[in-house]
Amino acid sequence: MELDYLATVLLSSLASASILLIATIGLAVVFGLMGVINLAHGEFLMIGAYAALTTTKLGIPYILSIPVAVLITMAIGAVVEILVIRRLYGRIFDTMLATWGISMAFLQLAVLIFGTVTPGIGMPQYNFQIGDYSLAGYPILMIGVAALMMAFVYFLMTKTVYGMKARASIQEPEMARAIGIQSARVNTMTFAIGCGLAGFAGAVLLPIVPATPSMGSVFVIKAFLTVVVAGPVTLTGSALAAIGLGGGASVTASFLTSVAGDAFFFLITATLLWLYPLGISAKWRWKM
Amino acid sequence: MFKIKNATGGYGKTVIIRNVTLEVKAGEIVALLGRNGVGKSTVMRYATGLIPAMEGSVEIDGQPAPDASAKRAQMGLGYVPQGRYVFPRMTVTENIAVAAASNGHDHKAAVAEAMKNFPLLVSKANDLAGGLSGGQQQVLALARALAIQPKILLLDEPTEGVQPSIIDEIAGILKRINKERGISILVAEQDLDFCLSIAERAYVMEKGSIRLETDRDSLRNDKALQQELLGV
Repeated sequence: MELDYLATVLLSSLASASILLIATIGLAVVFGLMGVINLAHGEFLMIGAYAALTTTKLGIPYILSIPVAVLITMAIGAVVEILVIRRLYGRIFDTMLATWGISMAFLQLAVLIFGTVTPGIGMPQYNFQIGDYSLAGYPILMIGVAALMMAFVYFLMTKTVYGMKARASIQEPEMARAIGIQSARVNTMTFAIGCGLAGFAGAVLLPIVPATPSMGSVFVIKAFLTVVVAGPVTLTGSALAAIGLGGGASVTASFLTSVAGDAFFFLITATLLWLYPLGISAKWRWKM
Repeated sequence: MFKIKNATGGYGKTVIIRNVTLEVKAGEIVALLGRNGVGKSTVMRYATGLIPAMEGSVEIDGQPAPDASAKRAQMGLGYVPQGRYVFPRMTVTENIAVAAASNGHDHKAAVAEAMKNFPLLVSKANDLAGGLSGGQQQVLALARALAIQPKILLLDEPTEGVQPSIIDEIAGILKRINKERGISILVAEQDLDFCLSIAERAYVMEKGSIRLETDRDSLRNDKALQQELLGV
């Protein structure tokens, strides 16, 4: 096997893992810091994608449409938290049911507003060569974006007062209240940030994953499994799980078939959950 | 200064404490004594608002306490729970800083102050709290409660599972903050010697109610009472 082929496979697999990680971080934040499984996460990604698409169509440069998408999804996330999620804390199945319902409502709303087929955005395609092989540039750029997103969330959660309050609230909810943390406000903020990260993912992945009403479902299952495999040390756990599962699946897919890639993903997930029912990071003594 | 009036409460529909009334005056250290399972911790949780009141009320600094625990903390109610409950995946520094910041205090100053008061935390400042020993966690839980700048401090069994040298240190710290900063203290304990060394007055609980109120000297001299109520 040629070195350039191997490098291509490794790079594109790392890119696939990064795309999975980008799509997962918002879910990981919400699950890791609130104990809420947001089954509407994929739809927030979709809203982010449509927000970016619509903004671009209005003539605003694509790069500026990304923060618009983040703000819109954060605002919707805050409203959803206040109206629905906050009544259901500690009731994990009820929140799953409620967020599943929300996801269906958002999906249908998107169908009504945008129709089922949407044109993609005209992004300049640039490729680069490794030996005999040519790789699309944008997916490779996602490796850097995923790293930046991780760094941002790590900074937000470990270096800011909000981050300390959010972590205290999930680690010892009663003590957090007893020392004066107003957990309701912290939770609204955390959920909004999680949704904003989903919106960011939808917007930043738009050149690769075109906006369609059902695009969320492509990501949500794998994102959800990644978070569950990751366990309580959310950020590092999710990064490792995304690289291991997403990257591994992608490598398998390039040598065999894409079905084999998916089979790899689900088999390894099942095995890891059998070995580590509380997630791979259950015994790690790390912050995030 | 701090009052619990006619407190009745428990978990779900189960009543654990009935008609508990007690008071801690400004600058006073008061002990809440009783055997295991008489409801001392439930009184503490009632006072912090972590369990809802079935009946009765709490007064902090002369004002009626709001329902929310967070608001009670902001009114100056500090709480060190039984089992410490430090935030395990946060560093020692963060445990203290988050308490100060949540009550609008400068968190860097609070950490500096805590390190001065509790030298044994200095070398652990950047360690995760979950990795500390029981005694170190107890000291951290106390430092965290003090970081909210409380007027009244509730301590639930601070000596449980703590080595004797640290117990002495905790007693010394409590006496000092009480004297220097005028913080009132209510301490629930089974360790009679620890209580006699710091508290001037005590309430003794039995079966979810206050059985009697006594002062240090009468309790110290009444061996029959000690035997009957505390099994010591």
